[in-house]
Amino acid sequence: MKHGRILTLAAALALGLAFATPKDTFVHMTFGEVDTLDPAQAYDTASGYILENIYETLYTYKKDSLTEYEPALAVSYSVSEDGKTYTFQLRKGVKFHSGNPMTCRDVEYSIERLLVTNPGDSAGWFYAESLVGYDVNAKAAAADELGENPDPQKLEAFLEAYWQKIDQSVECDGLYTVKFHLVKPDPSFFAKLMYTASSVIDSKWAIEHGEWSGTKKDWKDWIGKDLRQGYLHNHASGTGAYKLVKWDGKDVVAEAFDGYWGKKPAIKKVLVQVVDEQATRIEALKRGDADRVTINDRATLESQIRGLPGVKVWEDPNWAPAVASAIFFNQKPSVQDNPYMGSGKLDGKGVPPDFFQDVNVRKAFAYAFDQDAIIEDLYLGHGVKLTMALPPSFLGYDPNIPTYNLDPDKAEMYFKKAFGGKLWEVGFELTILYNEGNTTRQTIAEILKANIEEINPKFKINVQGVQWPDFIRAVSKRQLPVFVLGWGADYADPDNFVYTYYHSRGYYGNKIGLKDAELDRLVEEARSITDPKKRAELYSKVGHRGYEIVPFVPYPLPSPFMVTRDNVTGVYYNPMRSGEFLWKDIVKK
Amino acid sequence: MLTYAIRRLLQLPIVLFVVSVVIVGLLQFLPPTARAAAYVKSEQQLAHIDEIIKQYNLDAPFYVQYWTWLKNALQGNLGFSRVDKKPVLESIFTRLPVSAELVLYAFLPTLLFSIWLGTLAAIHRDKFLDQLIRVLAVVFWSLPTFVLGIALVAVIYGYFKLFGIGRLPPDLIIQLAQQANAGEFRHYTGLLTIDGLLNGRLDVALAALKHLVLPTITLILVLGAQIVRVMRSSMLDELGKDYVRTARAKGLPEKVVYYKHARRNALIPVITLAGLMFAFMLNGVVITETIFNLPGLGQWAAAAAIQLDQPSILGFALFTAFVVALANIAVDLLYALVDPRIRYE
Repeated sequence: MKHGRILTLAAALALGLAFATPKDTFVHMTFGEVDTLDPAQAYDTASGYILENIYETLYTYKKDSLTEYEPALAVSYSVSEDGKTYTFQLRKGVKFHSGNPMTCRDVEYSIERLLVTNPGDSAGWFYAESLVGYDVNAKAAAADELGENPDPQKLEAFLEAYWQKIDQSVECDGLYTVKFHLVKPDPSFFAKLMYTASSVIDSKWAIEHGEWSGTKKDWKDWIGKDLRQGYLHNHASGTGAYKLVKWDGKDVVAEAFDGYWGKKPAIKKVLVQVVDEQATRIEALKRGDADRVTINDRATLESQIRGLPGVKVWEDPNWAPAVASAIFFNQKPSVQDNPYMGSGKLDGKGVPPDFFQDVNVRKAFAYAFDQDAIIEDLYLGHGVKLTMALPPSFLGYDPNIPTYNLDPDKAEMYFKKAFGGKLWEVGFELTILYNEGNTTRQTIAEILKANIEEINPKFKINVQGVQWPDFIRAVSKRQLPVFVLGWGADYADPDNFVYTYYHSRGYYGNKIGLKDAELDRLVEEARSITDPKKRAELYSKVGHRGYEIVPFVPYPLPSPFMVTRDNVTGVYYNPMRSGEFLWKDIVKK
Repeated sequence: MLTYAIRRLLQLPIVLFVVSVVIVGLLQFLPPTARAAAYVKSEQQLAHIDEIIKQYNLDAPFYVQYWTWLKNALQGNLGFSRVDKKPVLESIFTRLPVSAELVLYAFLPTLLFSIWLGTLAAIHRDKFLDQLIRVLAVVFWSLPTFVLGIALVAVIYGYFKLFGIGRLPPDLIIQLAQQANAGEFRHYTGLLTIDGLLNGRLDVALAALKHLVLPTITLILVLGAQIVRVMRSSMLDELGKDYVRTARAKGLPEKVVYYKHARRNALIPVITLAGLMFAFMLNGVVITETIFNLPGLGQWAAAAAIQLDQPSILGFALFTAFVVALANIAVDLLYALVDPRIRYE
């Protein structure tokens, strides 16, 4: 009968009989590869998606809520009167995947490791700014303050002081009480602690495998280290419902953790497979080889997915991603070797460096932009306008702030006012870049081109597609007079967006030369108080001021959706979750 | 001939050195911010691009960057692949078996099938069979790989639900990962059809084979078309020569004339093409690997090029130079086997 069995097996395989994935197995085919599985290094969605399932933080989002939190590795917390000390009581009886018990020491180690390493391309900066007062690691901070070749003694003193700040920022009071000491009140600190960078790592296991010792002894060797070459890069011992089986640089295999402290999940095995070709992902979904697939865009969803038997599309008009994107007007572009500003003068063949310092020019561009076309044509009707550079689901978002919508007459009026009328007479020419493959950026650029050139034939906009590296270079060198970029939330606090966009020292504010005293004042006040109502009022004022001076124009967000087989239940949408929902909440019927 | 082969092999380090200098040199034409693209995946990381440039020494002068790379390379460290998130050498050793497995099952069938078709076409010159073979060869040679690949995925895999994509079905991927962790499945070669047998897992070997069917068919059709045309043309040349006329005049059967005499000589240009094709396939056929989700060298190289992942680009270029050089030596040695007039000192 052995021959018969082999023949049957061979025949079945040869015929390629379709087997849907088993009920206890969840297969997700997506694009976008994990960058690293080290929580202190990871700062991208693909990595965050895996980390949020195998590691845990002290508190976490309650299902699909951004404002309701539930205890995870901590069971309660309190904040001191002055807002500078956060005390958490840890959950007892929690085990790591290695079998080691979780205690305060692990929390302390995890956060201190984050502060010690704080690589330039990690999320460490927003913990460091709250806990040590610098947003860069010790060596970078020393270079900023003392210069490139500092006196060795001064450098040593600086590093010692920095270490003391790290050491004092987190302390244990017994095995199950952890205290965070902030350098100044930070109303977003609690929200920050829910990001995967503050996941609790198994310190004993990590140290045994060559990671930082957790002490002053070797901390200097770890400052700014690229953690992608360390043990935690592709190994994990967290407390999450799932443990990592394998990550080969592409696909991730995980299995349910028997010793998990919480409810045992229905899904026992998970495969996250990177399949770059969308057509292949779709065929796998149809065949049942994938339970969930990531679909690139709405157009593909409507033309190829909707209505497929055995497939469910999850969507809700109330959903909005935790993202804000805008068209930026650069008031201080760099002019050296800049090919995007033409002649660099107001002579009809280019734009001068102060082109966008004239608010009339900014308003004219804003009125030339067709928000509705983005929603109708690009998002096929599924999108939401933004009134300010803040996701609609965040505290402080004010839906009543007016928006700039297409109005060619007003655009013309403001162009005629600009530069005392000279702009209208001589015209201008500039280039808008997009990175190849980014349809949204390309469409926005082309809309602006079409509408503005129609207003006055002397206005010329060149739309150019370039590779991602060239796009980055132009942006980072501040060469682009107009550019389209966005920001995804690091943590569910409005300051993450508002400071970035509206403050003169925020990443975008700085990049476009925005310097408005009132905006700075409002943003700084909002980030120094904890009363949500007062903060919301301040953010509303920020949004209104932003509308008045229009340093940038937020453009609509696409309505999110997810695609799974129809036997998958328990799906929800949390915009702060890299994977939208957690594997442990899924049940396959 | 052995001396000849050794002499050719000794030229290899020079080739590799020149390739590495050219690539590192060319990449220096890009400013540090552009080369930092490999490290920037999100706007948040873009916000810290200056720190990234400092961290990875992207603004150091060319000779400093090259010397650092060379020092490490001579110690067996080819750098870290940003695309694969692992050392470059590890990337090559992980991805090479994937490409090699495809080559193993696609190369010989492609070669044998195409030689056979090309010979048939020449023998039946201008008859229906020849016309049919020529038309099909032109059609498949002209057809873009991605069109054929996606068509096979949609029709054979999607509609008729036959065979599979990727190296294995999802449940076997999970199972093998768990068993490998527990030491119950060993990846001896990285070729799943062979490792399956070596581990006594016929199901794994057969599943892996099943998943290779569609990409193999794609390659046979697309690459084979070129060999068919070259073989036909070369065979017709031989059949027009005096020695063939003499052989026929001596009363040798047609089959002997075709297959023992003419075809052997007609193979010489085909061997050249086959050698190049082998090197090409081993370096990874990007589109086929992408469509069928095979994590081979081609996919890696394409991603590295787009992301300007310098260590990966360099590693791949050196590997390619190595393979092409070896393939050329093998081709030259094969010439000597096939054509007794060719001898090397």
